[in-house]
Amino acid sequence: MMIIMHPGAPREQIDAVIAEIERHKLTAHPIFGVEQTIIGAVGDGHYVLKETFEALPGVLEVQRISKPYKLASRQFHEHDSVFELDGFTVGGTEIPIIAGPCSVESRAQILEIAQAVKESGANALRGGVFKPRTSPYAFQGLGEEGLEYMAEAREKTGLPIVVEVMAVSQIPMMEKYVDVFQLGARNMQNFNLLRAVGETRTPVLFKRGMSATIEEMLMASEYILSGGNTRVILCERGIRTFETATRNTTDINAIPVLKQLTHLPVIIDPSHSTGDSSYVSAIARAGVAAGADGMIVEVHQDPAHAISDGRQSLTPEAFARMVKQVRAVAEAVDRRLVSQHVTA
Amino acid sequence: MMIIMKTNATPQQVEAVINAVKSEGLNVHLSQGVEATIIGAIGETHSIPIERFEGLDGVEVVQRITQPYKLASRQFHPENTALSLDGFTVGGNEIAVIAGPCSVESRSQIIETAIAVKEAGASALRGGVFKPRTSPYSFQGLGEEGLEYLAEARAQTGLPIVVEIMSQVQIDLMVKYVDVLQVGARNMQNFNLLRAIGEMRTAVLLKRGLSATIEELLMSAEYILAGGNQRVMLCERGIRTFETATRNTTDINAIPVLKNLTHLPVILDPSHSTGHADYVAAVARAGIAAGADGLIVEVHPDPAKAVSDGKQSLKPEKFAEMVMQAGQIAQIMGRKLAVVQGEYIKQGWA
Repeated sequence: MMIIMHPGAPREQIDAVIAEIERHKLTAHPIFGVEQTIIGAVGDGHYVLKETFEALPGVLEVQRISKPYKLASRQFHEHDSVFELDGFTVGGTEIPIIAGPCSVESRAQILEIAQAVKESGANALRGGVFKPRTSPYAFQGLGEEGLEYMAEAREKTGLPIVVEVMAVSQIPMMEKYVDVFQLGARNMQNFNLLRAVGETRTPVLFKRGMSATIEEMLMASEYILSGGNTRVILCERGIRTFETATRNTTDINAIPVLKQLTHLPVIIDPSHSTGDSSYVSAIARAGVAAGADGMIVEVHQDPAHAISDGRQSLTPEAFARMVKQVRAVAEAVDRRLVSQHVTA
Repeated sequence: MMIIMKTNATPQQVEAVINAVKSEGLNVHLSQGVEATIIGAIGETHSIPIERFEGLDGVEVVQRITQPYKLASRQFHPENTALSLDGFTVGGNEIAVIAGPCSVESRSQIIETAIAVKEAGASALRGGVFKPRTSPYSFQGLGEEGLEYLAEARAQTGLPIVVEIMSQVQIDLMVKYVDVLQVGARNMQNFNLLRAIGEMRTAVLLKRGLSATIEELLMSAEYILAGGNQRVMLCERGIRTFETATRNTTDINAIPVLKNLTHLPVILDPSHSTGHADYVAAVARAGIAAGADGLIVEVHPDPAKAVSDGKQSLKPEKFAEMVMQAGQIAQIMGRKLAVVQGEYIKQGWA
C-alpha cells in the first residue's frame, strides 16, 4: 500500500502513520519528496484495509498496490484451478455447457428439457426452484417439489444439476439434491449467504452482480474460498450500462481480465448478458473465443410459453446449433467440448 | 408511433393530438381503452421527432415503433453493404484488419510500422495526424506532414490508409490523401462534421461515442448516408461503464445487434475497448466470433516509447499472433481475412 501524505504534513503525522503501519506488522518505507511524503507499507497486507490509514491525520490518499483478495488471486495460486463434476472437469481443457430452463415449471417440462439438452450436447442441467424475481407477484418457483423433479431429471439423464440458492435457510435442504449451488447476481454481495456456502463442500457457480466490478466479484468469491470451499466457478452474466438495446451488456473484457487475475474457472451466461435469444449464439461463440471455460445457457422447449425468461431462452434445436458453433470455436482456441456424458 | 394519452386526458386534447398527427401527413388509428386512449400514427414516421407530440397537452408518453433511421436500417436495405477499398471489400466475406500506431510520430516510425503490420497480415494502415487528446498539453499530431508520411507508407506497402478527421476544415486536405476518413468517438455527434463528410465520396469509419447507444450511433451514420455517402463502416470501440479494470467496456453485444439492425459493415476496435495490450487478442477473437466484419488494432514498434496509447498497443510480433488467431476464428465463421496483394494500385472510388 502507498500512503500519500498531504503537502506539508508535519513530522508527527508522518510518524503516526509509520507507527500504524508497524502495528499491522508491515514495514514502512517513507519517501520524502520536495513537496510531499509518500509512505510505502510493505508486507502481507491483503487483509489490512485502506480505511485503516485513510482516516489518519495528514493522509491525502491511500493506494493499494497488491490485490485486496488472496485465495482467489493468481499470485497465490498460479495454476488454473481445475475440478471435477460428474463426468467432466471445469477449468481445464474441456469446456462444459450447462443448459436448461430459467425455472423448473413442472415434472414433465424439466424431464423433457433435460433429455433435449443432453441430446444437444449439454453437460449439466440448470433449473431454478427458488426464483429471485423482480416483482414479488411473479412466479417464485416450485421449491422442494422442483428439486425432486430436478433429481429425477438427473437420474434419467446423468446430468449433474445446478440450482440457485437464495437464502441461508435453504442450504441444508438443497445440499441433499444439488451438484452445484448457483449464487445469483442479486446475491453476489449477500455476505451471510456467501459465508454459509463457503462452509459447505458443494461447488458454487458464482454470478457477477449487475453493477459489480471485477474486483468486487473477486472479493466476494474470497468469502466462499475463505470458508474452505475451493470449488468456485465465476460467471460473467452482463452488467448494467446505459445501453437499452440489450437486457445487459456482456462485459467480454471480463473474461481475459479474470483469467489473468484469478485461477478460478470463468464461464459466460450469454442468455442473461444479452436478454435476447437471437444474440445468444454470437455471444456464446465470443465467450469461448475470448477464453471462457464454459457457459450456462437458458433453453426451453416452448420459449413463448415459458413462465420466465422466455425471450432469452433458446429452443432445443437452436441450442443444438449453438453447441455445434461453439464446438468449432473451442477447437480453434485449442480447447474442446466435453465428450458426451454417459447416462447413469 | 404510439401516442399514449394520460388517463385524465380530455376529448379536446385527444382531438388536438389527432389533428397534429394528421398535419404531419400521417394516418390516425384511435384505440380507446378503459383507462387510456392510444393514438397510433401510421406512415413514414422516421423523419418526425417524437418531441413533435410529446409536448402536447394530455400526452403521457410517445413510443416509436419503427426505427428513427432509414438509410442505415436493414429494413431499407436487407443485403449487407460490402464496400470496396483498395484490393478488398469490407462487409462481405472478407474480414479487414486495419492496424497501425495511434499517432504518426515520424517518417521512419510510420513506414517501419506499415511494413511490419503488412507482413503480419494487416489489410489497411491506421495512423492519426490530428489527435483528439484529453489534455490540450499532450501531443496533438503532425498534421499534413503526417499525411505525407502516411502516403509514402501506402506507396511502399500498398495498404490503404485510415486517418481520423477532427474538423470540417480538414476535409479538403484529407480527402487528397486518405482512403478512409475515421470519425472518432468524441466526434460521433459532431453533426456539422458528419454532414460535411456525407458530401464526400470517401469511405468513412464511424466510431461509436463513449456514451452513445447503438441507436444513437445509427442515427449518426444516417447523417452521413443522407448526404449521399454510402461508404460507411461502423466501429464498436468500447463504452464507458462503472468498471475500471479496463479502459472501456467492449460492448460485444453491439456486434450481433448492429448486424441485425443495419446493413453497414461493423468492425471492432479491441485496443480502445480494452485499453490494455494483454487483452487485445482475446477480444479481437471474440469480435470475429460474434460476427464482426473487421478489426482496427493499435500496433507500435516500441509501445513503451509511443507518444500515445502505448499501453494498449501491440508489438508487431504480438499483432502477428493475433492475426493468426483471428484468421482461425474467421475460418470457422466461413470467412477469411482480407489480403492486400502486390503493389499499390490507385483505383477509382466504387
